[in-house]
Amino acid sequence: MAAALLASDAAGQALPEHMFAGAHAGAVGLRVHRNTVLGALSHALRLAFPAVDKLVGEAFFDRMAVDYARARPPAAPQLDEYGRDFPDFIAGFPGTETLPYLRGLAQFEWLFAELARCRAEPGFTGPSLQLEGGVRLRFAAPLRLHAARFPVEPLRAAILAGDAQALAAIDLQRGGDCHYALWRSEQGVNLRPVSAASARFLAAVYAGGDAATALAAAASAGGPGDIAIAQLLAQEIVPAGFVQVSATPAG
Amino acid sequence: MNPGSPVHPIPARAGIGLRLPHHALVLAERPAAAWLEVHPENYMSDAHSLAELEQVRKHYPLSLHAVGLSLGSAQGVDAAHIARLKGLVERLEPALVSDHLSWSIAGAQYLPDLLPLPYTEEALQVVCRNVSQVQEALGRQILVENPSTYLQFAASDIPEAEFLAALARRSGCGVLFDLNNIYVSATNQRQDAAAELRGWCRALDAGAVGEMHLAGHAVVATEAGEELRIDDHGDHVCAAVWALYEQALAHFGARPTLLEWDTRLPAFSVLQSEAALAQARLDSAQQQSYARAV
Repeated sequence: MAAALLASDAAGQALPEHMFAGAHAGAVGLRVHRNTVLGALSHALRLAFPAVDKLVGEAFFDRMAVDYARARPPAAPQLDEYGRDFPDFIAGFPGTETLPYLRGLAQFEWLFAELARCRAEPGFTGPSLQLEGGVRLRFAAPLRLHAARFPVEPLRAAILAGDAQALAAIDLQRGGDCHYALWRSEQGVNLRPVSAASARFLAAVYAGGDAATALAAAASAGGPGDIAIAQLLAQEIVPAGFVQVSATPAG
Repeated sequence: MNPGSPVHPIPARAGIGLRLPHHALVLAERPAAAWLEVHPENYMSDAHSLAELEQVRKHYPLSLHAVGLSLGSAQGVDAAHIARLKGLVERLEPALVSDHLSWSIAGAQYLPDLLPLPYTEEALQVVCRNVSQVQEALGRQILVENPSTYLQFAASDIPEAEFLAALARRSGCGVLFDLNNIYVSATNQRQDAAAELRGWCRALDAGAVGEMHLAGHAVVATEAGEELRIDDHGDHVCAAVWALYEQALAHFGARPTLLEWDTRLPAFSVLQSEAALAQARLDSAQQQSYARAV
């Protein structure tokens, strides 16, 4: 019966009628259950990938979701975890050839959904860095870094807002590296676009590197000198909201 | 929840199914509700919502109504899922824990529905074994709910009411008696729902009934143009189900009763109004019971 509920061909969806009794044909009841199963799985995906849903439209999203359900049904009842590899699945889905950024958008949405399910950690004690001049940076959020080939954050925001003007202003043909820092606070999921240098700096810090290692990692992103690093700290890292800065007067 | 926190019992009053979109309102305004029931599967991998539920739990008696144990699976209940449920039970200390007389796991696949069983002695033994396994692991009784059915197996030779009654006797589980499901199943099988209810009243020990459920359902047409009722929990309780509820209360007495609403979820105040309709019937049943006693 499980196979009949997920079968993609008409022959596979049928079960012998002599198995069933009652007022309705067994096929009628099977159809109810099939609709419930596939509807619930589509709904779970729609919750995790709202911008993908809105971008491709409800009917097309359902087609992708049903094919995905048949190919990769969930293994456990907590449907929050269902859809992890949906971005890879839809990357090659027929009809999405003109949307090269679809997989990246879906990957970004999955990360967003994962973070939304995380508990905020107001007392989080992250890494800290001692910089020259007595300046100490304390990183006060469990940060997730995300790299994408397309500007998926403004894309997601414009799609969800239904902002056609903002959508048109995004250069989706250009591609290139986009980096984002995300973290969960009590208010929700926070997000900050960062440069490649900042992303490398933060990755090194969260990997346990010291200031020299982190600065070297940032420099390797494009070779900014000391002044550029200082700008990066002042313009991107410090105002981001997940860093506390303290200064120890020189003694 | 800290050890030693008071466990609020579920009163024989009308409770409300709490869904994630209502968390913020319930936390901010603490609207009146005798008790709340949630699906534990919504909290097993959502630490944020679980943290909110822990706050809610401080102010309301709570019931955990599972949908994923798959008590009818011949392959047995997934130990990992029992462990997840046990973790929540220990953390939230719910007054009631329940699931359905159905299956949803086959092999390594989870199918999000309450799929029907053939009601046979063989199936009864499977469900008894699974329910006992869950109760042993949790260290407490669970309630098992009669589902809405759209299929009847030719192999079934035990009426559903007798099947569930035997399950309760053999395993020691309680019964979560869903009046909407009785109505949906009976009308889909072109049977008289009131007569079906009388069959349930004869089969079930009153002491086994630990909770009742009420919900709305949808009415659709099949391709053949026949009417079919779908238990989608997306509407007000219909008059026929209210009548069945009154009959059930008269027979079994007042029981904790939950108003379920899952699809097309309205404002919480609508759920409160619907629960108030159930509460009025509970009050009336309790008054009649008191009058008979004196």
